Amino acid sequence: MSDESRKSYKLEVWVTAICFIIVAITGGFFSSFVVILNERFFDKVPTPEQLVQHYGESMFVAKEGLTVLGFPLHYFLLIMLSWIGVTIVGAIWCIVMDRLEEKQRA
Amino acid sequence: MEPRGEIFVLGLVLSIIVLLISVFISIWARRFTRNLGDYYVAGRSIGALNNGLAMVSLALSLTTFIGLTALILKGVYIAIALYASFTAAFIGLMLLAAPYLRRHKSFTTMAFISERYGSKTLRFISVFIMLIVSVLYLGGNLKGVGIVFFFLLGVPEIVGIVVGGLVVTLYVTLGGMYGVTYNQTFQTIVLIFCLMFPVAVVLKALGAAGWFFPPLGYGNLVPLMNEAVPHFFWPMLVHPIVYIAIFLGSFFGIIGLPHFVMRYFTVRDAREARWSTVICVFLVGLVNTTVYATGFAAMYYMRTQGIDIPEAAYDYMVFILLDALSGQGWLAIAVAGSVAAALSTIAGLLLIMGAGLIHDLYSELKPEVDDEKKLKLSYAAMFVVGVLVILFSLNPPKFILEAIMWSFGIAAAGLGVPIVLGIWWKRTNKYGVGAGMVVGALIGLYGWIMVGYLGMDPVTIPFPIFAKYFYGPLGWIKITAVAVPVSFILTVVVSWLTPPPPLELQKQVDVMHGWQDYDQKRYNGKGLPITVIVLSVLIMWFMTTLYDVFPK
Repeated sequence: MSDESRKSYKLEVWVTAICFIIVAITGGFFSSFVVILNERFFDKVPTPEQLVQHYGESMFVAKEGLTVLGFPLHYFLLIMLSWIGVTIVGAIWCIVMDRLEEKQRA
Repeated sequence: MEPRGEIFVLGLVLSIIVLLISVFISIWARRFTRNLGDYYVAGRSIGALNNGLAMVSLALSLTTFIGLTALILKGVYIAIALYASFTAAFIGLMLLAAPYLRRHKSFTTMAFISERYGSKTLRFISVFIMLIVSVLYLGGNLKGVGIVFFFLLGVPEIVGIVVGGLVVTLYVTLGGMYGVTYNQTFQTIVLIFCLMFPVAVVLKALGAAGWFFPPLGYGNLVPLMNEAVPHFFWPMLVHPIVYIAIFLGSFFGIIGLPHFVMRYFTVRDAREARWSTVICVFLVGLVNTTVYATGFAAMYYMRTQGIDIPEAAYDYMVFILLDALSGQGWLAIAVAGSVAAALSTIAGLLLIMGAGLIHDLYSELKPEVDDEKKLKLSYAAMFVVGVLVILFSLNPPKFILEAIMWSFGIAAAGLGVPIVLGIWWKRTNKYGVGAGMVVGALIGLYGWIMVGYLGMDPVTIPFPIFAKYFYGPLGWIKITAVAVPVSFILTVVVSWLTPPPPLELQKQVDVMHGWQDYDQKRYNGKGLPITVIVLSVLIMWFMTTLYDVFPK
């Protein structure tokens, strides 16, 4: 494999891996971080008193917190990152791959 | 719910117009179909914009239109997280599979698996898995058709499933992939219009300040919602593995669902495949965020107005809401949009099922049959499959989105894993793929039979080690967090323990990535398989942790 070819190969693999990790986190399991880090970032401690005791509604009780356009921050981030965020990541990856393809053809 | 007992004339007229235009497009597109390549993959001539729009309507089935609203009412934040993951999954599909599949020049997912791994047996296994996931996916959508017919004609769901299903089957059989593509493009435009505008009207009626842009237009209602439904915006107190299972199901499921992947075989080249996905994800996100607003509006309307809708009727909530707040005209437009949504997705599914049976099964068993006969058989197969699925759907799922979620899980473990590893790791061979896809798909299928079909409580199903951890709301989703990792582990380990695939099969990997030359070192390192195994084991182990923290 020539140096140029190796560079292109590494660029393809690493750019794809990084983009996938970003998309997986922001669009995929962003919500799991909200659950795990709830106490630290949203001042919510799960206690039995805070839980609604019937099926499907065993959840935290909402408190005032950071909001964007009226939405709780984590909710706003979830819907925007999984939509506009991943679209931008996808577009960037497409541009990189278009250039790489031109190189491969050359 | 009981039928309305009356015909919704305006809705019926608009729906018939949508149907007639769709049939007209199918007949018009028929002239382009001259051979099997035209019929199955539209002569590989579709551009990025056209394909992107077609993918949108494929993604936005009736499950989105009415099923997601029902799921939001039932599961609130978790339903939104699920669809956020589904939206992002399109970019996952693009990064891991789309342009590479296009360069491979297969007709179908099943053909790709067979040719990449040099195995006819894998082709038959993947056809079988494809039929299972497609039937589940179709079952959910046909129930949606029944709901739409219920509103249009006041007839029971079951009549809608039979009549609506037959109409769609006929129109798909007419046009092939050209017809399906142009129809899906048309239906996307109809769908976006028919969703955005009625939802804006509903939000306005509820007092939302930003009603003119539904995705972000209801922020001023949040404080009132927090009072009425304190948990609406907060993640359920469920184990985070649920979200990881959703991620695995949606990201690898979309790669495994053949009707999505098939769209990439229709485009002109890899570049068009990439950009069509970006167009698609932007529009899918726009529609999905609008549906989150619909779910919000439905819950807000129910809880602030004190209206009680039984859980069994949640699938009807979109229409109930529009009927109450927007008037008959907007309701009619939304119903017509639902018809468009149903047509596009069912069309794509029927086409892939017909292609799978004739191109991947019959042609392999009888290779001497000429293309003209295969084409005729494809028409017949598609019609027969349509009728069989209608019969299967006579016992529809309780909630339409649940069937789709099972379908995603099985597709992820059975087809998504072999596709991804086949593109990114040369060492993957037919033995590893055979073991991974069979066991992974069987775990998902077993879960569906026990929980989805027989209705058992997930924690009571015979499932060594893991059953007790399938607790909590939507706990059955966690089965995907076993099926997909097991599929990955088996594929990697068995591939490693058995001889490497022949050189000509390994060369396909470089070709798929656009290389003019071949280099053994590319896509052949140990980093990817080791990472995959470590992550898979960690995911399954994580499920067994924090048992005492979350409510059962």
